[in-house]
Formats: sequence, C-alpha cells, structure tokens
Amino acid sequence: MHVPDGIIPLWLLLILYVVSGLFLAFSIKRINRRFDDKLVPYMGVLAAVVFAAQLVNFPVPPFSSGHLVGSTLLAVMVGPFAGIVIMALVLFIQALYGDGGLLSYGLNLFNMGVFSCFFGWAASLLLFKGMRKAMNDERAVTIGTSIAAFITTVVAAFVLGLELLSVSGFNELALAAITGVHLIIGVGEAILTSAILLYFVRAKPRLISFLKDSDVQEIAEVIETDWATSQEGTKVVAK
Amino acid sequence: MEKETYIKFVIPAVVVLVAIIGITILSGLASDNPDGFEWAVFDFAGVAEPEGGFPGIFSFLGEGPLVDVLTGAVGIVIVLFIGLLIFKVTSRKE
Repeated sequence: MHVPDGIIPLWLLLILYVVSGLFLAFSIKRINRRFDDKLVPYMGVLAAVVFAAQLVNFPVPPFSSGHLVGSTLLAVMVGPFAGIVIMALVLFIQALYGDGGLLSYGLNLFNMGVFSCFFGWAASLLLFKGMRKAMNDERAVTIGTSIAAFITTVVAAFVLGLELLSVSGFNELALAAITGVHLIIGVGEAILTSAILLYFVRAKPRLISFLKDSDVQEIAEVIETDWATSQEGTKVVAK
Repeated sequence: MEKETYIKFVIPAVVVLVAIIGITILSGLASDNPDGFEWAVFDFAGVAEPEGGFPGIFSFLGEGPLVDVLTGAVGIVIVLFIGLLIFKVTSRKE
C-alpha cells in the first residue's frame, strides 16, 4: 500500500501532507507527558516490530502479495495517537529506503496512519465491547482486533482506490480490483495481528489499552479527561 | 529507564526480529510478487509505472536477499532508536 512518487497528482499529495502533518502534530501534543518513561522501551520495540513486519511480503496467489500494516494493532495497544506517531516514524524510514515516495509521504501516512489508526481503533472498540459479553476480555480483544484489522485493511484500500481515481487510467473497475485483492491481504493482516496481539496478551497484557489495569490507558485516551487529576495520582480511565 | 528492561526485553526482541526477518528472506518465504497496490494500479489498470524518484539510501548496495536482510536489520535498529528517542522526549519521569 506504499504509494511511490509520480502517480498521484501533486495537489492531492500536498493536501494530504497538510492533513497528515496536522494530525501528527496533534498526536504528539496529545501523547506528551501522558505516560511514564518506564514504558519507553516497549514503545520503541513496538515501532521496531511494525517496521520488521512490513519488511516481509506474504504471497497472495497467484499474482500478488501483501504485508502487515499494523495500524489497528497499534491503535488497540497504545491508542490511535501514539499509533500515528509510530506509523509516521516507520513510514519515514521506509521512504528513506525508497519504499513509498517522499512526496507521497503525507498520503501514505494518511492512509496507513491517520485513517487506519482511527478507523481500526473505533472498529476494534465496537467489536471488543460487543464480544466481551460472550467471552473474557483477552479473547474479545484478540478476536475483535483481528476482525477490525481485516475490515480496516479493506476499507483503507478502498480509500486509496478513491484517491487513485484522480489518476488517468484508474477507473471504477480498478477500484473494485484494489479493494478485492485487499480482501485476501486483509486475511493475512488479521492472522498476523492476532498472532502478535496474542503474544502481548500473554507476555505483557498491561501494554494493551483495552484491557483492565493497562499501563497505557493515559496515552491511549481519545476523549480528553482532566489530565491534571491524573498527574495528582488518580488513574484516568479511557472512555 | 531501567537498564534491566533493555537487557531482558529490548535486546532479545531486536535479536528475535532480525532472526525472523533473516530466516524468512533467506529461505525464500517472502513473496516477490507485486503487492496489492502495485498489482491493481500497474498490472490491472495499466497505469504506467513511474521511473526515477528517490531510490533509497541503500540503493548503492544493489539488490538481493543478503542486502535485504542487512538493510532490514539496520532499519529495525534505526526505528528502535528513533522510537526510543521520540517516546523518551514525550514521556514524563516518574
């Protein structure tokens, strides 16, 4: 899903540079001072995990391939704002590697970071809240996030397809094709997401914002609460 | 930050990540097919693939599985360090 330079018209790239830049600045502002520095090593490793997972493409027989995006995984673990920051870092290094253009960086960050983190977070939260009535929280977060990761991959591909309609030669049939091939890639995303999440559920459940007593609830908070209260020692619970 | 966390968690995690990437790439398990975007745009829709653009900071090394593993490992470490730096700056000291 990494778009190189020279395909999408410049006006759209510039608009999405501004939009993604504003979201990134807001995300950094939102996570600032919201978590203690004991969590820093885990956040760094999460970024490395997503970068590593995006390095390897799995086959989509017979003609294509796909790789993990990881936005939904990040959004569920550390919240959409920290997820956007991690995706911005990963995509920037990839752009320096020639994977995804430098001019297209804003567009790629919008598709795989801003949009996917918020959509994946919202879909996961809805599924988690529905599923926890029928199973325990750990199972609900793993299954719910995997399904959300699948949906997010397909919807993000559709959004990319809509952006590509600005390109001469890309039509509604191609929009259906890019969405269709991501139905299969989404299955891979769901499997990898559940595998990584399952590891963290067992090894470090406090790093998953949806679970009780999570250490990352403050950084994952989307609806702002009285942050001053939490600094005085009262735990802020994510809404 | 505790040194123990780095020794017990961060370093083993990076070693495992590099090992998984290395084994996957060197054993040919990674697919060389165009990804979903490339297939839909260049193969299916017939949009011309752009020439030029920024080839990447490691393009002088050429292509190949060993280069992929080496540059991938370097990337993992870079992302880890920048990630640690960003989150260190934005965290509060307890």
